[in-house]
Amino acid sequence: MSNPDTRSAAPARTGVRTLRHELPVTLGVIAAAGALIAVFSGDSFTLNILATAFLFAGLATAWNIIGGLGGQFSLGHSVFFAIGAFTVANIYLKLQISPWLAIVPAAVFSALLGALISWPVFRLRGPFFAIATMAMTEVLLSLSLYFDTFTGGSRGISIPFRLGVQNMIFRDRMSYALLMLGFLAICLLVMAAVTRSRLGYALQAVRDNEDAALAAGIDVLRTKLTGMAISAALTGVGGVLYMMYVRVADPPTLFSLFDIGVKIALIALIGGIGTVYGPLLGALLIVPLENYLRAELGGSVPGANLIVLGVVLMLTALFLRHGVMGALRAGALRLFGARA
Amino acid sequence: MTPAPFLGIENVSRHFGGLRAVDEVSFTVSRGEIVSIIGPNGAGKTTLFNLLTGQLQPSSGTVRFEGRDIGSLRPNERARLGFGRTFQISQTLTSMSVLENGMVGAFMHERSLPGAAARAAEALEMVGLSKRAGDRAGSLTLGERRRLEVARALAMKPQIVLLDEVMAGLNQTEVREIIDMVHALNAAGVAFLVIEHNLKVVRAFSRRVVVINRGRLLKQGTADEVLGDPQVIEAYVGKTRS
Repeated sequence: MSNPDTRSAAPARTGVRTLRHELPVTLGVIAAAGALIAVFSGDSFTLNILATAFLFAGLATAWNIIGGLGGQFSLGHSVFFAIGAFTVANIYLKLQISPWLAIVPAAVFSALLGALISWPVFRLRGPFFAIATMAMTEVLLSLSLYFDTFTGGSRGISIPFRLGVQNMIFRDRMSYALLMLGFLAICLLVMAAVTRSRLGYALQAVRDNEDAALAAGIDVLRTKLTGMAISAALTGVGGVLYMMYVRVADPPTLFSLFDIGVKIALIALIGGIGTVYGPLLGALLIVPLENYLRAELGGSVPGANLIVLGVVLMLTALFLRHGVMGALRAGALRLFGARA
Repeated sequence: MTPAPFLGIENVSRHFGGLRAVDEVSFTVSRGEIVSIIGPNGAGKTTLFNLLTGQLQPSSGTVRFEGRDIGSLRPNERARLGFGRTFQISQTLTSMSVLENGMVGAFMHERSLPGAAARAAEALEMVGLSKRAGDRAGSLTLGERRRLEVARALAMKPQIVLLDEVMAGLNQTEVREIIDMVHALNAAGVAFLVIEHNLKVVRAFSRRVVVINRGRLLKQGTADEVLGDPQVIEAYVGKTRS
C-alpha cells in the first residue's frame, strides 16, 4: 500500500520518496491496467475502448509533465501528436521503413519542435500562455494543409491494411490494447522518474513562483524547455501509435483543439493535475463515458455528449480541486490518517 | 595593488523613464561583513537589491563580485555564484512542503533527492522550522514564511545573503530569533546585506550602515555615526523647526 499523501506524511524525518520508492507502485499500476485487458480479453468492443483509454491516459500523463508539474497549461499538444502521426506516415509509406522504427524520429522531431515553438511562448504566463498555444495549433494546422506532400493536405493520409507485426497492423483488438498499454507504461515510468528527480522539483518550483525559482538558482527557461521537450516527445510517440491504429487521418483531426489538445488537458485535470497516476484515472473515467454518451445521445440529441462532459468538468472544478486523485488521497488520509 | 572587494557597487544607476530610482550609488561589502541599508520608503532600496541580484539590469555603472563584473548575469546565475536572497513580499513555493522548499535551494549543489533533503533539513534546523518540515509551505504563518525563505537561501550555501525587510510584520520574539540566527550564520562566514527599517535591529546587526535617499547614497559609516547624523534624521522625519 502506498503512502496516501507523499507530501505531508514523509516516512522518516528527512525521508523523501525517491524513484526507488515510487517504482513498485508504478509497476503495480501498470500491472493493474494490464489486468483490465486480461479481464475483457474476449470482448473486442471493450478492448477497443481500453485501447483508446490507455492511449489518452498516456497522452494526458505526458501532458502532465509540463502542464501539471511545470504548470504551463498547454492546449497545443495536438501539434506534437500530429507531428508523430505525419512522421510515421511518411517513413512507412514513402521510405517503406517499419513504423516501429519511426518511433524514435517522431519523438525527436516532436521534442525539437516543442522546444522551438515554446521558446517565444514561454515568455507568457498563465492564461496568455494557454491562448498562445491555441493560436500555435491553428498556425500549424494551416501550414500542414499547405505542405500537403507531407501531410496529405485536406485529403488526409490513409495507410493500407497490410497485416503484420513489422507493420504495426493487427487484426485483433487485443494487440492494439497491449500496444497502448506499452505506451502508457512508458509515459508513467517517465513521469515517475521526472517527479522524483531534480528536474521535477525545478518544474514545481517554476510552477509555484518563477521569481523564487530564479533566486534559488534554477534556470527557469531551460527547465520549462526540458519539461516541454520530454512531454512533446512522448506525445509524438502517441501520435505514431494513433496513426497506425486508425490508419486514416487528416490534419484537422490530428490538430483538433477539442478532440486532442483540450481533451488531454481535461483528462489530466479531472484525474488530478500534477500527480503521477491521476491522468490514468481521468482517462478511465472520461473515455468510456464519452463513448457511452456518443452512442446513447449522439444520434438523438447531437452535441449532448459534449454538454454532459462540460458538466463533469464544471463539477470537478467546483468540488474536486485536485481531481479524482486528490479526492482519493484526502479520503485515504481521513480514513487511515496517522497525523493528529 | 589592493585586492578587489568582495562585493563592489560602482556608480550604479537605474532609471525608469525620467525617474532616477537609483542614482550613482557606490559602496562595497567585505567578505563576512553585515551591512545595513536604510532609507525612507521609496528611496530605491529594493531597486538597488534587484540590481544586485539580477532581477533588474543597471542603466549604468558596474556591480562586481570578487572583482568580476556580474552586471549581465541573470538571477539564477548570480545565485550559483553565491547570492542568496529573501523578498520584501515573501515568495515561498506554496504548493510544496516546507522541506521541499529547502530542497529546491539545496539542489544547486546536490543531485540526489536524499542528499538535497538532508541539506534542506539542516537549513530548516538553523531557522527553527524542523517541526514543520512535512507541512505545506502555504499553511505557514508570515513569520515562518520569512524564515523559510532564509532557509531556502541557506540550503544554497551562499556567500552573501540579501534580506529585504525580513523583520516586517514579525513579533518581538521572532525578530530576536532572526537576529540570533543572522549572527550565528555570520560567525560561520556568511556576509549579509540587509534592508531594514527597525533601527534597533540595524544597531544589533551592523558595524556599517548605508543610507539611501531619493536614489542617492546619503551617508555611510558606523551605526552610531550614521543614525545620529542630522541629514539622515532630516531624510527620515523631515526638517525640524528651530
